[in-house]
Amino acid sequence: MNARHALPPLALLAALLLGWEAAAAAGWLTPIRFPPPSRLATSFRELALEGFPFGAFLSTHVVATLRRVLAGYLIAVALAVPLGLLIGASPLLDRMASPVVAFGRSIATLSLLPLALVWFGTEEAPKVFLIGFGCFWVMLSNVIAAIKLVDPVLLRAARSMDTPPRDIFLRVMLPAALPRIAAGARMALGMGFVVIVGAEMIGTSIGLGALIMEARTFYRSDITMVGMACIGAIGFALTALLGLLEVRLMPWRRGRQT
Amino acid sequence: MAPPLRARLAASPALAGALGVALLLLAWEVAARLLWRDPATLPAPSEAVLVALRLLTPGEIAMHVLISLGRILAGFTLAAVAGITLGVLCGRVAAVERLLRPFVEAFRPVPPLAWIPIAIVWFGLGEASKVFVIFLGAFFPIWTSAWRGAALVPQVLLDSARSMEVRGPALLLRVVLPAALPDIAVGLRVALGLSFGVLVAAELIAAERGMGRLVMQARELGQMGVAIFAIFLIGIVSLLADQQLSAIIRRSVGRWRPV
Repeated sequence: MNARHALPPLALLAALLLGWEAAAAAGWLTPIRFPPPSRLATSFRELALEGFPFGAFLSTHVVATLRRVLAGYLIAVALAVPLGLLIGASPLLDRMASPVVAFGRSIATLSLLPLALVWFGTEEAPKVFLIGFGCFWVMLSNVIAAIKLVDPVLLRAARSMDTPPRDIFLRVMLPAALPRIAAGARMALGMGFVVIVGAEMIGTSIGLGALIMEARTFYRSDITMVGMACIGAIGFALTALLGLLEVRLMPWRRGRQT
Repeated sequence: MAPPLRARLAASPALAGALGVALLLLAWEVAARLLWRDPATLPAPSEAVLVALRLLTPGEIAMHVLISLGRILAGFTLAAVAGITLGVLCGRVAAVERLLRPFVEAFRPVPPLAWIPIAIVWFGLGEASKVFVIFLGAFFPIWTSAWRGAALVPQVLLDSARSMEVRGPALLLRVVLPAALPDIAVGLRVALGLSFGVLVAAELIAAERGMGRLVMQARELGQMGVAIFAIFLIGIVSLLADQQLSAIIRRSVGRWRPV
């Protein structure tokens, strides 16, 4: 996007922000419903320097949320990748598992909240469990699909050269399936960020999801909005990071779309 | 002699699937009844269903399902209309894309559930706030797929339509939209799945009826069996809704392109 093309959206953004500020100053918009941009800037500073609620700094919330998302995500990936490779490589297992996987994906992760509480208490474990559950099914179905969609010509070619099964799996199937597995890993991370906000509704006031919900009980919709912006920015940054990692780890994919 | 089980399973995916589900349920049943033996933390599937059917009338269950489906239908339909319209416009009209895309991209990474407190402040605790959150959950995947589908319409189609003097809105409606439908269909299915996930969260926080409320009520009353029943109910309803949507897609889009 060059400078000329960046101008219209920037102008629109400036007009929206100014109009919002002016409408709030004139009393047309109630500050509790639409806290003006200047208020959001002060709230951001308050959150970063003084903390909310009760001195919990923005950095504390961010670290807590990141730790939970990453723990659940990594556990889910560690379980789903081997299981998915196994299921994808065996047609019989795949047929037996396919209704289970379809149903697992259809379960609304947050409906497991009561089970998570009874099984894991109210500390970190139930939150990590819920995030892990959400990520697991996304990752699993993507790994299975990635293996099944490997071009059969590649496999036949390898077999015709008497490649031992172990090498077919490690040196033909796995590299061919890797781009789709990576795309699945990105989708699963997105799922982690969808679930975290709900998972942090249980028994905590630390974490960006908790902050967003907590702020409502204090009638601080400005804090809610700042929290939303932060969690959006972190989700965006992590997804971008994963994309970069993908390019580094799979140089042969450079310039291609998955 | 009957053919060996392995051969029969290879011949019929449905049989193999049923066997997979049955084995899993059996393992759970055995584990819960013989190993765990504490229905308060892990009821067996049969116990869960029996308890739920004892405590809930079929009418009640149907009421919760219908209320939730109504919310989904409202939010999802609004998202489909808005997402397809804006997505197709962004994909084909450069000025609209330059103006709107940065805004849509800025809001996309915000998880839909994070909107719940704001939705309550804006729309109160009633139906509107739930429909709004479902709308947000469904809008982004539909918008993305419509935008991509419209942007990737083959140039040949556009050129031949233009040579027949089809331009402007007619071009979008009668050439671009049908050509983008296979992509849009994928976005619609993703969006419907997300709608169910978001719905449950919205109903957990503030609702008197609906399937999500059923889960929360079971938790407050300590009825693990009912909670498990409700979790499965939501999963099954969501799966059936997805199958219904994909059947509609196959009937309509499938006529001119395999989906």
